[in-house]
Amino acid sequence: MGQTDLSLVAHLLRRAGFGATRDELETYASQSYEERVEELLHPDHAQAMPDDLIRRYHVDMSELRQVDAAGAYWIYRMITSSAPLEEKMALFWHGLFATGYTKLNQARALLNQIDMFRRHGLGRFDTLLLELSKDPAMLLWLDNNDNHKTAINENYGRELLELFSMGIGHYTEQDIKECARAFTGWTLKNAEYMAVRASKDSIWPYGRINWHFEYRDWDHDDGEKTFLGESGHFNGEDIIAIIVKQEATARFVSQRLFQFFAADEIDAAGEAVVESMMQTYFESDYEIRAVLRTLFNSDYFKSEPSRYARVKGPIELLVGALRLAGSYRKPTLGANQLMLQSFFMGQGPLVPPTVEGWHEGMEWIDSGALVERINFIAKELSDISQPGVRDMIAWLDAKHNGVLTPEQLVNGCLSLLGALDVDDETHAALLDFASADGELNLQNHQPGDAAEQRVGNMLRMIAATREYQLA
Amino acid sequence: MSMQTTALNVSYVKTIGIVNNGYNGRGFANPYDTAISQDGRIYVLNRCDPARASAIRVGVCNLDEDYLFEFGNGYGEGDGQLRLPVAMAFDRQDRLYITDEENHRVAIYSAEGAYLSQWGARGSGEGEFNGPAGVAIDAEDHVYVVDQHNHRVQKYSRDGQFLLQWGDEGRGPGEFNLPWGVCVDADGHVYVADWRNDRIQKFSATGDFIAAFGESGDGDGQFRRPSGVAVDSEGFIYVADWGNERVQVLGPDGSFQLKLRGQATLSKWADEFFAANPDEWETRLQADLTPELPAHLDTPYHISAQTEPYFWGPVSVTVDRDNRLYVAETNRHRFQVYQRS
Repeated sequence: MGQTDLSLVAHLLRRAGFGATRDELETYASQSYEERVEELLHPDHAQAMPDDLIRRYHVDMSELRQVDAAGAYWIYRMITSSAPLEEKMALFWHGLFATGYTKLNQARALLNQIDMFRRHGLGRFDTLLLELSKDPAMLLWLDNNDNHKTAINENYGRELLELFSMGIGHYTEQDIKECARAFTGWTLKNAEYMAVRASKDSIWPYGRINWHFEYRDWDHDDGEKTFLGESGHFNGEDIIAIIVKQEATARFVSQRLFQFFAADEIDAAGEAVVESMMQTYFESDYEIRAVLRTLFNSDYFKSEPSRYARVKGPIELLVGALRLAGSYRKPTLGANQLMLQSFFMGQGPLVPPTVEGWHEGMEWIDSGALVERINFIAKELSDISQPGVRDMIAWLDAKHNGVLTPEQLVNGCLSLLGALDVDDETHAALLDFASADGELNLQNHQPGDAAEQRVGNMLRMIAATREYQLA
Repeated sequence: MSMQTTALNVSYVKTIGIVNNGYNGRGFANPYDTAISQDGRIYVLNRCDPARASAIRVGVCNLDEDYLFEFGNGYGEGDGQLRLPVAMAFDRQDRLYITDEENHRVAIYSAEGAYLSQWGARGSGEGEFNGPAGVAIDAEDHVYVVDQHNHRVQKYSRDGQFLLQWGDEGRGPGEFNLPWGVCVDADGHVYVADWRNDRIQKFSATGDFIAAFGESGDGDGQFRRPSGVAVDSEGFIYVADWGNERVQVLGPDGSFQLKLRGQATLSKWADEFFAANPDEWETRLQADLTPELPAHLDTPYHISAQTEPYFWGPVSVTVDRDNRLYVAETNRHRFQVYQRS
């Protein structure tokens, strides 16, 4: 494969993962594009930083009482996972089924929900919705613990239809009520005690007690219901079976996947891809893996105009930079700050602003967030003590026998940051910067010396480019 | 309830502790080890999470659940300060030794909490550490320190003079994989919790390999990441089987005797909390605190996360002169006390 193919694989990995190192790209180049897609879609033997090492070092990530620890624990997983699409899907579903720490005060339950997204995030959509409806964090987040046979609470039923499946305009207020009736009795174990603890943020006497699902038959309304034109003694499973066969659901799911993985905006060409995805959705019995396969293998997705058509979300940006820099590959003091750093950029994992999740695309960027984004990634990528950056320096040294022209320095660093393509104006500016100090001599370079620092400075400059902010 | 086989009986006595969400006072913050002074006071090492790191400290109480005092010199690298403390042990003069895996040293305090001295720096040479973990002191005041990332045990005089070392990374006899806890029996034998090899190794006082007990697994006599080890006056071996969220007791020959899963009750401090918070108490009375869990949560860790009486993060075991067993639980901010008879 040539450089063009590396660019395509890099594009795929930016979207279906968190980017890739130069070594990873070269390894993947021995596969066909379609083979790489299939491997991403089948994360069967994912490896990540071992849980025991994390828990031994970080007591806060063993107990998982606090959200910064839980968020950092997930970031560790995203940084070190060998199956990036599995994590990317968890991030996608977390944004769509946004459940937050505020109100729950139960970080472990949120991570259990993320685990559920790993298990079911590429599988059938009906299974995923069923698991979501049994998820204790979701149940408390949207008050289904207060949805009783004798007094329904519509909150979960409403959001299931509006935010999680079909979207507004495809159901009536009566459908919401019937949906809520069907989910009466779906609650969490010890719901009353846990609700009191959650409302008071009580950790006493011995820390958090985690949650799991409980179905209370005696509190379930088994009466006849009419939902989306169908009637019966529906329970929650029946409602989900009706939801997933709606065309509105197919469109909703396909559009959201398209916008997360392909482009922030759906143009006419994109609409054709969405329709193909909808067709796959039905043909595959609602399988998300199949829908994504249709997207990733589409000519639209692979085309040049599709590249750099999305603004990286803060978590994508942060994780991608850490994977390249090689920092935090083992338990590290201060890792909980990573979650806060991501929060300052506008997206704290496990703390979405509302049940609607985050506003994405260009809304990720404002002047404050942009400064946070650039400062963080520039600091990480210019840290020449980090193992990933040291690998980059060694690669440049070996490839050019220790002596690089300014252009080789620029092009080498762009390549090392994931086969990054920049426009002519940006390239010229980088070249001006590199040329100021002339030729770079890396022969006999020593850790931290001026030659290495020049590489770090170039990486820092590239981190500040428009293209690096895009996926 | 007690768990019993043959002649060995280990009975539950009580639970001491409550989570401390603040920066001082009664309660514990991620306890990592206990040590018993000669007068029977119980010293609890609070590892503390990042939110409470500035108040990193040792809390002292007694078996009657009186919170006596606490001491610490703050979070950091200065004299007597701590960052990630792991373990404690008293010498015969009641001086308390505390290891710190981030500061790579051993610090010594008086029983009243005054900082006395410290030694160690990051490295792999003699007198250096890379993540010191367990510490034990024998009857002659020799100090054994488990050097986690160097996969070895170092032996020192009470004042930090290097004496000898043994171990290397590996799975063979006398080799280690990220070892953690250590103890010394009445005959001077040294036992090491060989954490990532899922076994306990027994050595002479000069580091000669004697035996290894256990293998990976969750069956009787098997371990998953054992973190702590203690030996009582008759040679019974208590193992904090951390990854299995339990304690196992082995005979002097390493044979399986019994296992404990934990049976915590409300401490005196917990009782007082509920007396002041009747709304929580009322709903708690209706709750099932030992529930059946769905299959995807059927692991010791997840079970312990929502079964309050069980051990959760049983990181260390300590046995006192009266053969009382103290099990510190990192994630439940308490320790459970058992009595061997």
